[in-house]
Amino acid sequence: MAGKIHCVLVTPEKTTFDAAADFVVVPMIDGEAGIGVDHAPMIGRLGCGEVRIKVDGKGERFFVDGGFVQVDQNEVSVITGNAMLASDISVADVEASLHAAESVKPETTEEKLAKVRTITQSKAMLKVASKNK
Amino acid sequence: MANARALDNRRKSVKNIKKITRTMELIATARFKQAMDRATAATGYTQRITQIVNDLAKSGLEVSHPLLEKREETKAATLLVLTSNRGLCGGYNGNVLRSAVDRKTELEKSSGSLDLQVSGKRGLAGLKFRGIEVSNSYTHFEDKPSFAEVSEVANGFLDAYIAGTIDRLDVVYTQFVSVSKQRSVVETLLPLDSIGDVSESDDSKPTQESVYEFVPSPKSILEEVVPTSFKVKLFKCFLDAAVSEQIARMIAMKSATENASEMIKQLSMEYNRARQSQITGEIMEIIGGVEALEG
Repeated sequence: MAGKIHCVLVTPEKTTFDAAADFVVVPMIDGEAGIGVDHAPMIGRLGCGEVRIKVDGKGERFFVDGGFVQVDQNEVSVITGNAMLASDISVADVEASLHAAESVKPETTEEKLAKVRTITQSKAMLKVASKNK
Repeated sequence: MANARALDNRRKSVKNIKKITRTMELIATARFKQAMDRATAATGYTQRITQIVNDLAKSGLEVSHPLLEKREETKAATLLVLTSNRGLCGGYNGNVLRSAVDRKTELEKSSGSLDLQVSGKRGLAGLKFRGIEVSNSYTHFEDKPSFAEVSEVANGFLDAYIAGTIDRLDVVYTQFVSVSKQRSVVETLLPLDSIGDVSESDDSKPTQESVYEFVPSPKSILEEVVPTSFKVKLFKCFLDAAVSEQIARMIAMKSATENASEMIKQLSMEYNRARQSQITGEIMEIIGGVEALEG
């Protein structure tokens, strides 16, 4: 397969995407990274955000929440705990959970961390969802 | 001589029971296939995590993480028991509970305090019957445990372990070996003895220099990989338990159906005999009556 990369998106529950692609963009912990053909071998830690997979001019968009990416010999494995199609995000649900998280007054450090986490997660989700239109 | 009508009623009720057990067997078979598919899907994830761990190890990074360190003494241990929410699955829950009780006695001797947590209504009922107190229970795990739910439970354990409120976590569950073999096992998940599955690591490949670039750094990836590895292990326990439960139910219902068929055969025979002897008795009476009239 000249000029193509094999991209796999796996979660513990199922393989969400498994096909050849031209270009893949993954959300790293400190910003996005683009992976094209013949990318150097890499293992990276993912943050919350959008995975964009470009296949024959068309794009597939997924929301992922943490995990890893492994690139080796034109094989891209995105390994994440939670992945969903960007079009499947329900804006109303995310907004509700965002409001719920914002209204919580954390008392312990753990609660504080959980709050920050939910907020970043929800905001990232909303950002991905806002591109749906 | 048994009453023919009573026998017929019994035969009818056995037939009904047979229908139910047969249906339950079919349902268990369908659910087993689903659970099996989920378990297979999870291995894709596990293998890739293992791959990353192996590559990390090859990069010469010293693998050290609080979750991997053994504590000198176990002050507080936790025992998590995975049972089913529903019964009618043969010895499935009994076996798990037996292993759990054994390990519990062991742990109580070796560690200061023991915290017993149970998933599944059957396990709760079984322990209550044995007079054992349970500190925490989960009953929302059905035959399709989701990763999000398991990871919530896992996070609880991770936080407690890192905070030092627990020093050890053991899980009792039914391990799926093959379709014809499942056994109840006790596994120590915390401290993690190894990240990734040892059996799956590819020793056959010649060890080569790691060619990977680690972004942002091997250490940061390790920080994330170790908790993920624990979560995946716990998730695998739940999946195995779910698959084994369906197999156990399938087998139990299959033998129940077979027993019902046997019983129906037996009852039919008795019923026919009773009916025949009733008819013979009536004919004898009539003949006796006719002879008396003629005589």
